[in-house]
Amino acid sequence: MGAISPFLEPGTRTKADSLAIVHLSRDNLLPVILQESKGEVDGYAEGSVINTRFGSFPHTTLINQPWGAQVRASIVDTGSRGRKRKIQEQETAPDDSEGAGSTTTPGQATPKGLETASSGFVHILPPTPEVWTTSLPHRTQVVYTPDYSYILHRIRARPGMRIIESGSGSGSFTHASVRAVYNGYPKSDDDARGKVYSFEFNEDRYQKMAEEVEAHGLKDLVKVSQRDVYNGGFLVDGKSPEAECVFLDLPAPWKALPHLSRSKPAGVEQDTPWISPLRSDRTVHLCTFSPCIEQVTKTVEVMRQLGWMEIEMVEVCHKRINVMRERVGLNMPTDRGSNLSPYDVGEAVQRLKEVESKSKEFHERNQGGENGDADVDMDDAPEAQKSNGTPSKSVNESKAPVASASAKPFMMGRLIHRTEPEIKTHTSYLVFAVLPQEWTEEQEAAAFAKWPCGQESKVIGKLDKESRKKEKRELLHAKSKSKRKRGKDAEAGGAVETEVDNEKEAKRSKPDPQVASS
Amino acid sequence: MHSLVEPNAWVAIKLPSENLRVLQLIPNTTISLGKYGSFPSNLIIHRPYHITYELEDKKDNETFNRLRIVPASELYSDILSSSSFLNPDSASPGPEGDDDAVADAIPTGVEYALVDADSGAVVAKTDRAELDAEARQSLTMEQIEELKKDVTDAGRDIITKLMLSHTAIGQKTEYSLAKYKLLKTKKYIRRFCVLPLDVSMLDYWLLEEKDPSKILDLREEMIGLLGCWANVHFGGEAQCMNAEEQEAAVNGANSVTKLEDSTGRWLVVDDTGGLLVAAMAERMGVLYPPEKGEDGINPPQKRRRDSESQAEPAEAEANSRSQAQQAEQTQPPMGSENTSGQEQILAKRVKYPTGDPRHKDDMAVPYSNCNTMTLIHHNSQPNLSFLRYYDFDNTNPTQSLEHPLARHLMTLSWLQLLDPQADSTYANEPANIDADELKTWKANRRGNYHRKRRRWARIRHVVDSTRGGGFSGLVVASTMDPTSIMRHAVPLLAGGAPIAIYSQTPEPLTALLDCYSVARRAAWISDPPEEAIGKTAEELEQWAGTDEFPLNPSLVLGAAMQTSRVRKWQVLPGRTHPLMTSKGGAEGYIFTAWRVKPAEGRVEARGKGRTKKGKSGR
Repeated sequence: MGAISPFLEPGTRTKADSLAIVHLSRDNLLPVILQESKGEVDGYAEGSVINTRFGSFPHTTLINQPWGAQVRASIVDTGSRGRKRKIQEQETAPDDSEGAGSTTTPGQATPKGLETASSGFVHILPPTPEVWTTSLPHRTQVVYTPDYSYILHRIRARPGMRIIESGSGSGSFTHASVRAVYNGYPKSDDDARGKVYSFEFNEDRYQKMAEEVEAHGLKDLVKVSQRDVYNGGFLVDGKSPEAECVFLDLPAPWKALPHLSRSKPAGVEQDTPWISPLRSDRTVHLCTFSPCIEQVTKTVEVMRQLGWMEIEMVEVCHKRINVMRERVGLNMPTDRGSNLSPYDVGEAVQRLKEVESKSKEFHERNQGGENGDADVDMDDAPEAQKSNGTPSKSVNESKAPVASASAKPFMMGRLIHRTEPEIKTHTSYLVFAVLPQEWTEEQEAAAFAKWPCGQESKVIGKLDKESRKKEKRELLHAKSKSKRKRGKDAEAGGAVETEVDNEKEAKRSKPDPQVASS
Repeated sequence: MHSLVEPNAWVAIKLPSENLRVLQLIPNTTISLGKYGSFPSNLIIHRPYHITYELEDKKDNETFNRLRIVPASELYSDILSSSSFLNPDSASPGPEGDDDAVADAIPTGVEYALVDADSGAVVAKTDRAELDAEARQSLTMEQIEELKKDVTDAGRDIITKLMLSHTAIGQKTEYSLAKYKLLKTKKYIRRFCVLPLDVSMLDYWLLEEKDPSKILDLREEMIGLLGCWANVHFGGEAQCMNAEEQEAAVNGANSVTKLEDSTGRWLVVDDTGGLLVAAMAERMGVLYPPEKGEDGINPPQKRRRDSESQAEPAEAEANSRSQAQQAEQTQPPMGSENTSGQEQILAKRVKYPTGDPRHKDDMAVPYSNCNTMTLIHHNSQPNLSFLRYYDFDNTNPTQSLEHPLARHLMTLSWLQLLDPQADSTYANEPANIDADELKTWKANRRGNYHRKRRRWARIRHVVDSTRGGGFSGLVVASTMDPTSIMRHAVPLLAGGAPIAIYSQTPEPLTALLDCYSVARRAAWISDPPEEAIGKTAEELEQWAGTDEFPLNPSLVLGAAMQTSRVRKWQVLPGRTHPLMTSKGGAEGYIFTAWRVKPAEGRVEARGKGRTKKGKSGR
């Protein structure tokens, strides 16, 4: 058993040779396996270096940091390394003039000899299936968090269960499901823990998946097999995975479904005795993931023929929401994103009046007030001044958010939210179904013998009026009895408290069946 | 977990009308399903879940209805034959199942045609577009009531009679006939299905049939998202503290240092009556008590063998019994196997006395140091009422420690968290009494003393370990202002710990997100408020909040908001479409972020500001 996967128990600090996620910006996350500096790597004296538009980050600066730490960029010579390599090749002599020591002591927050850059930083996060899903190398269409979170909840993937997944694809569902079923690493071969059985047909993707599982420390928890499940089924080394949950992300799930039967289905030719990949003493929950409605129709029809129950098809509509400040107003700072139009009708009217009076002034100046209209203007102008004061002042007095010197730009404007500019309107249709365990007549007879019928004492569930009344009477009767008893005890000065407990107990147990009937 | 229906288990019974009836299966009772009939509870105890039963007619010599398992082929016969009718040339893509017998019984192609059982004449044909406006049921109300009184054949005969006496049945189109039949079937067929009351089912029931406002309209997709974004999972091998550690736990300093090696501790604020806690417990594997008689790990083969070996003698017995008069069963025939069932009930009801011998020391704390939840509540007691469906009662001092939640769920109030000295249960240590003096006390007083000491030790442990921080995640579904929760909860989180907050409405979350807006974060660094100048990182973690900076924006990264909704579809041959109606109400939004540790001193950003394409909108 190797180290525990950083996905499951990341510990408190980043470790060498373990996966960490470098958070550059909201949608720019970089998965990195941190490597201790062991001399020059790829021309960098500092060892492995992550170069981003936010600066350069030698791995040594990221190792043994507390998770979530903000790490500053370091000054790394990125420009001359190509040139230097050439020089080195010619001179075959190591160039030690480089500022950074090639052998930095591991385990130090900022290794000696590395200079911190004046600007630039990243955060370092522990890997989770969610972060991994947004940062993983795409090999196929990815099952994203809104889908897999719902699927895993619906197919009841819980600690200790075994789950079949096909195909592995890019591995986002694999990582989420291993987290869901994880209940510790197996300590021996017989120690059966929660496990993911992942099947992938494509050789290339299978290899990548196997490498990933190894690198992420999930080897004991995920069994990746290369398999055409349409023909090959779901057994691993001839043995049943004893799965309780199944997730099929296949182009033709209906071709794989017959292999997920409890007993040999008609139409499947097989000489060897039938071994079901499903756990025999549990209900099995299944989900298929298909983008097209035709696939769904076919899948559902075959499900019905094979006896799957509770078949339900859904689609998940997920939206990310942006929150921002909407800055509308005539005296907002002229930033990007500000809308310099009136905040409300009052502001608009004042603005119009301002414009009006300005044009009037302009006309008066030009025409010298000879016009007969002047009388009307004279009447209007004082009125406007009476109610609003000078126009320039009045704008500031309106209800619009005031752009005074003290107001911070991030507090101005109205707080709004809107859906992100592009949404995924369709990912896939999810078909859910359950397969109850088989129940033979012998089992039924045994259960009937153990739980014989015919001596039912009372009725639970939906009661008719008569029996409900009767129950209420009995309840009241019991209550008054215990009260009387309690009174007696109090007189005797005995143990009141225990009696109270008893009564509570009685109360608790009595109304239960009633509460249950809705 | 949910292998067979256990006696006294809470189950959901799904009725043909799609309604659920949630009840506790008390053995030796009659379960009444209203108009769908009633049957003895013993008939579904120790049977599998998800099986559809049909009520059989009462046998002449029995007082109860027996149940018949309805095979899937029978349930789907209508749909399957109609699909082959729709496209007769394209053979169904999959294998022909074992439903040949049923397929034979139903003539394919004319499935929705009605044949009068007596005369054999075809009464109704399909494919008629026009419907008579006068079409109606010719049976009177009284006649239908009369039919309902003596239901036979699980209600099938009444359905047939109703359809036969519909005046325009012959004019209905195929689909409308199917719809009519389905409608009547839902109303009269005496079928039901037993489902386990797991978190998913409990949530569905509370949402659809009970009061959704009690659980803040928390839909399944939201529970899934919350759990995933908060990275809630099994948090390490649960080992209870051993004796030395228990002693150490009493003094706070030691327990805080121990936090380093404890993993998988989540902080919860739950105003959904315990639904959120149940959902998290399910993800962590601490909701369901371990199954009896099993070690919980891979018992299928063993169990199968057991049930087979049991089956043989039981079968023999059953045979002999059936040869004997069935009437005997009405008298108590307590066989050996019966008593074993009864004993099981009794065993379940055993109360654990407060003076449990397992409590060697009053100061011993029952909590595990891994894989735990710490619930912060706003009343003096938490509201975890829905946990009673999982046999856990937080308010019951005699709650058995066998239940995994007893060791993995800790609760404390906001007062105990923020100002523990003001809380009397935390601050006032009950006086320690000599063992010798104790012996002279009455049993009742002694019990009280021990209970108080134990409670004090528990609270002490919970409060001290919570204030020590280092939590691996924060999950919130609360009516309280999320900004205030964040102010006090974020400093308790370990670096890199995820945060997931649910709100019914977007407004509280937009206000929270605004505290972490890009402009505000930038201003925090470039133009820090006066109050923040000259403070250390630790002091800034406890940022009290100002008007301009309600929260310290540098403690949280990747603040984002999302919503998700599931849309259900009907899938029937030739009739596939989204459902016409679904539930409205609160949409539900989720805030996600990570707790981070800002670098000490001034940090300068690099890189160009947002470009048009750049999505660093916030």
